Amino acid sequence: MQRRDWLKGVSVTGMGLLSSRWVTTVEAATLVSEKFPALADLALSYASSLGASFADFHVMQTDSESLFAREEMVQGVNADSRLGCSVRVIVNGAWGFAAGENLSEEAVKKMTAAAVALARGQAGWRAHPVEIESLPAYDGSWEMPIEIDPFTIPLEEKVGQLLGINRSALGAGANFCSSYLRAVRERKWLANSFGTRISQSRVRINPGFSVTVTDPRQGGFASRESFLPPRAAGYEHLCDWKSVEEASLAVEQAKEKMAAPSVTAGKKDIVIAPSNLWLTIHETVGHPTELDRALGYEANYAGTSFCTPEKLDTLRYGSEIVNIFADRTADQGLSTIGWDDDGVQTAGKEFPIIKDGIFRNYQMALGQAALIGREGGSNGCAYADGYDSVPLQRMPNISLQPGRDDGVTVESLIADVEDGIYVDGRGSWSIDQQRYNFQFTAQVFHKITNGKLDGMYKDVAYQGNSVDFWNACDGLGGKDTYELGGAFNCGKGQPGQGAPVSHGAVPARFRQINILNTAEESGRKVASKCECSGGGTAWA
Amino acid sequence: MGLTKQEFAILSEKVLDMVEADSAEVRLQETEDLQVRSANNDVTSNGFIDRFQIGITVSYGKRSASIEINQTEDEAIRDAVKKVEAMGKLAPEDPEHLPPVEPGEYLTPITFSEATAAMTPEEALAQVRPVIEQSRAAGVESAGYLERSVGSSALANTNGLFIHQQSTGVKFSVTARAAEGRGSGWASAQATDLANFDPAPVGEKAIQKALASRNAKERKAGRTTVVLEAPAVRDLLSILSWNLGQRGFDEGRSFLNGLVGDDGELIGKQLFGENATLYSDPLYEPAPCGVHSDGIPREKTMWIENGVVKNLMVPRYWAQKNGTDPVPWPGNLIMPGEGKSTEELIAGVEDGVLITRLWYLRQVQPQTLLYTGLTRDGTFAIKNGRVVGPVNNFRFNESPANVLKNIVASGKQERVLGSESDSPAHVPALVVKDFNLSSVSEAS
Repeated sequence: MQRRDWLKGVSVTGMGLLSSRWVTTVEAATLVSEKFPALADLALSYASSLGASFADFHVMQTDSESLFAREEMVQGVNADSRLGCSVRVIVNGAWGFAAGENLSEEAVKKMTAAAVALARGQAGWRAHPVEIESLPAYDGSWEMPIEIDPFTIPLEEKVGQLLGINRSALGAGANFCSSYLRAVRERKWLANSFGTRISQSRVRINPGFSVTVTDPRQGGFASRESFLPPRAAGYEHLCDWKSVEEASLAVEQAKEKMAAPSVTAGKKDIVIAPSNLWLTIHETVGHPTELDRALGYEANYAGTSFCTPEKLDTLRYGSEIVNIFADRTADQGLSTIGWDDDGVQTAGKEFPIIKDGIFRNYQMALGQAALIGREGGSNGCAYADGYDSVPLQRMPNISLQPGRDDGVTVESLIADVEDGIYVDGRGSWSIDQQRYNFQFTAQVFHKITNGKLDGMYKDVAYQGNSVDFWNACDGLGGKDTYELGGAFNCGKGQPGQGAPVSHGAVPARFRQINILNTAEESGRKVASKCECSGGGTAWA
Repeated sequence: MGLTKQEFAILSEKVLDMVEADSAEVRLQETEDLQVRSANNDVTSNGFIDRFQIGITVSYGKRSASIEINQTEDEAIRDAVKKVEAMGKLAPEDPEHLPPVEPGEYLTPITFSEATAAMTPEEALAQVRPVIEQSRAAGVESAGYLERSVGSSALANTNGLFIHQQSTGVKFSVTARAAEGRGSGWASAQATDLANFDPAPVGEKAIQKALASRNAKERKAGRTTVVLEAPAVRDLLSILSWNLGQRGFDEGRSFLNGLVGDDGELIGKQLFGENATLYSDPLYEPAPCGVHSDGIPREKTMWIENGVVKNLMVPRYWAQKNGTDPVPWPGNLIMPGEGKSTEELIAGVEDGVLITRLWYLRQVQPQTLLYTGLTRDGTFAIKNGRVVGPVNNFRFNESPANVLKNIVASGKQERVLGSESDSPAHVPALVVKDFNLSSVSEAS
């Protein structure tokens, strides 16, 4: 259907007649549409007739729902549904891509021609032809297992959950509290010229809140965000969340943070909880080991990487106890899926990135392994964030494995720290374009004195060099301490794309890490001694 | 692509006619993008993207809900209306809910160019090709991104509001990297009209920076005078603008709360240097912008004038509650400059650092608006009024509020891209004293 068809039957001057002049010419498309194989055949055969040596045809539908509540008010009840298709081709060793929301035969032919034009337009000045490996042809489907479809939960129940959080926070003394719930269903249908026809569906959910306490007399305020990570899961993810209790605790911690002594800058031993460490893994190991970055494909935006190909199998990335693995198959992993968006099956493609402290492999998409002489082709790391996005190499789930001793707990890691900090909850994050210099904050920085928690610090950031940091790791929690964190929207590419990704982690101890005082960094003078008592924080 | 204003009006009315709720708003947007991305002196990906978006918000008294869809079949829209009405009926009452915006007077900036809209895939590639060929000839590896966008949008509601605006834009950025000596340079350009756009000199600038930044020398971190080129300035000003909200200040959770004195007064108070002025204006020809924010007309608005805070953004509800007028979020940012060339700015610096671009800016401390981030793609030492050579990159920890207090001199306004925002901006390079370069970055 063309957009102007939408106007059919409408008198340009007769606005009053509009309501009785609707035209329904095309059935609303769904991902089980019988049209898709025919559209795919059209796109692939037309691309071939125009000279394409490879082509694929994607249909994607992304449905989402987001709720937002502020204090005792529900201020956002939103739904979003986007459906469309794309054609990607290789012609004369050059990529071309086009996409649109229109699923008519005419539109698919037009986008195929546009993709071919973009590839053909590189003829005569392209230096290196694109080459890709052959892939097996698959005919299958994959559906993420969830227990409770979040889209079937009554709105009242979901809103009630958010308002319950906010009431708890306000009751505990918060001046402000906002809470949110986002759910996404992503459905994909892929056909390519290798003969693949795949249908896939997955769901993810992201609940959270933020509380703020203020001190009008001092012009000060402090916030604390929730710790529950997003997951590739249904509404069951919220069932075990003691959200009301956490909201109350968050207020107490925000108050304590506001009154806490300002940290003294310098080197300290730190123990990092999985709630914070997942993001450090993401930034210091995840992004540096994307092969497209290492090869310069992201140089104009996200950057390149210190982790260049000659360091494969030789770089001591971390201490011997550090093992970081990648997969797209983990239970509740946000990157988990049956086939990636190049049509590579993910089962059996799991791989180590760091094994016993040594850098062992990159994340790769179609056509990339051969660029560094690796056999076996792509390890299934392609993803497009919508019908209108070209597949890029994106992160699989990348996780820090537990230490060898199952008896190690976060308490035992802390017990071996004389003067340090226990870092909990995701804060702000920043890292340079080659992934050397990072700086992170957290939700809560607990002071450690002689192996025990001893109140809080405020104004803290930890900063370092990625490789030095992982080599300073001397303690890891056992398998019972493993938790899966993650990001709903990791950004990459031009135009920018968001990708969901999980990172499992155990609590880990790092020696002599650089601690900054952020108040001093801002140019503010810091009182040499705090008049307030920090108070202790009990283990939950 | 290419629905007319009249067609947008008809389609808006058509959607509104389907709604049975007390009131409704419909948002329509049609866009067509051309994208060409390159790396290692070859095109790596590209795209011709055609989109249509329909947004519907319905209200029953103080209950409301919204939906966005991109399918234009009648059945899809009817389903969307049914769904959003069901959601709206179930939504709890929001005490802060307001009825749809009343029609207002809207400015008519020139935000559309036929030449830009007419660009073909072949022409987009032809824009990028000279930069790639320049890079090959210079022995550097370039990575770039060109995007041409054409859009039409409409906002209509049951109060009789109908606003239509067409826009075009073309933007290009490129990073050139010299393998030997680890040099890197970046440059960018942005225009509404293709006639004002030429990627070739942008590529040349990036290449020259890459070659000039080879073999960087070590320089220690610390507070110093910096020359921030326009892309770095626009990032810091964007961050500042996102935090100029009246409600956050009134609620005591703004960085501004820590800057005002005991009287708590903000408007009219000198908080920044006398040479700090920041305003927005949809009609500003070098960088025009959208004429409304959620239906509230945008007009020329002075945010900071000679260091004095003049206005903050005021949401509709907050304005009504406090008996004032709403002030919409800005669509562009303009900072007047002294018109000095970058060389003239450098000439006034005895010891400092020239910074091409900032990267990965993230908030560290909301109380002071402290942000961290890094320099990249061209960082140079300045001694006795001239650039003496490339130096290592730095992580900075600095507040844009401090930057506005510490401006020493300013250059000629440029329309460039930033790392954090692509919205229209016309800002100069700045010389800023006491800028906190907090630690050294090994990145090059």
